[in-house]
Amino acid sequence: MTDARRFEATVLPLLDAAHNLARWLLREPAAAEDAVQEAALRAFRYFASLRANEDAKPWFLGIVRNACFTALARERGRADVTLLDEDAWDELEARSPSPVPDPLTALGTRREQTLVNAALRALSPPMREVIVLRELEGLDYRDIAQVAGIPIGTVMSRLSRARAQLKRQLQLAGLP
Amino acid sequence: MNDDDLTRLLQQHASRHPADERLRAAVRTQITLQAAAQEKPAEKPTWRERFARLLRIHPALAGAGGLALGLVLTMFVVPRLNNDVALPEELVAAHVRALQVGPLYEVASSDRHQVKPWFQGRLDYAPTVLDEPLREQGFALLGGRVQAVQNRPTAVLAYQVRLHKIDLYIWPAERGAAPEKLQRRGFNLVRWSDGAMQYWAVSDVDGAELERFAAAWRTAAAH
Repeated sequence: MTDARRFEATVLPLLDAAHNLARWLLREPAAAEDAVQEAALRAFRYFASLRANEDAKPWFLGIVRNACFTALARERGRADVTLLDEDAWDELEARSPSPVPDPLTALGTRREQTLVNAALRALSPPMREVIVLRELEGLDYRDIAQVAGIPIGTVMSRLSRARAQLKRQLQLAGLP
Repeated sequence: MNDDDLTRLLQQHASRHPADERLRAAVRTQITLQAAAQEKPAEKPTWRERFARLLRIHPALAGAGGLALGLVLTMFVVPRLNNDVALPEELVAAHVRALQVGPLYEVASSDRHQVKPWFQGRLDYAPTVLDEPLREQGFALLGGRVQAVQNRPTAVLAYQVRLHKIDLYIWPAERGAAPEKLQRRGFNLVRWSDGAMQYWAVSDVDGAELERFAAAWRTAAAH
């Protein structure tokens, strides 16, 4: 099997998870697709760095998240933002706040979905990242630490703060 | 609300965004292009190597009389054969380079009245440019560029069909020739000649589709 075939067999099944992560980190659908494509090309160039028995999912999602955070920093005109600096992200988020859901729309049949999505969007990208990886992609702490490039202790504390914020917001909105 | 309640809410109600077919196709195309670009192009033999090879194939030519004949063959016949062999590879490499680092077109227009005049003063011939009759068949003109092929500035027209790009290389030819289909490194090529010009279409679109492009072009050009 050629390198390209082996790569496709390894990475194409991960595109759903990659795109989901990219869409949750970047607001624009086109930006998310660009980030996934860029990540796939990068991953192909560095395919040799994936060891024989290594799980490809955290490896590839790590490349995707780096492409996303680079795009985010570029989008906000602050290429100097440290990708792990939550305070800087909070400050930037305050300048470009997430859209607040229209209460009337939120009362419709898709109420839960609207509220849950809005609560996720309200998290800062570093917190949103660990929640999406844990709750939507089902990664364990060790894999999340590899994807995000942070210690496991940080994964746990970040997850717990993200959960607290989500609970607060969802309860305020009246969800059980 | 405890952590389990929150997990349940998120898993039931948060939006999921799977990759669609278009994104999958785009990723596959990029990987194919990247893989093709990483392959090393075959090195062209020098005339010395060609001459040495010729002597190995025809030991009789090593004689004094044969030497002169061999020299003539080497200088006039063999280079031409070799060029013919190397041309498809060169066209595929040129096509990949244009897709990867660009430009895919130096004049961007779907109007042949914009594209054709752009070639004036850039080439010592005037290539035919077709837009509407090909668009009707699903092949949209994106623009044109000049690119070196066999060390000569050559007209290239870029077309798009669905997600695929087609490059059409055009240069003067002496004789007409019926279409011929080739394949190199996963790319399809169709060549033909109308007696005045030689045409080479290069694309990653499938062979039948590229032949349809050639047929549409020949029909439209004949009118």
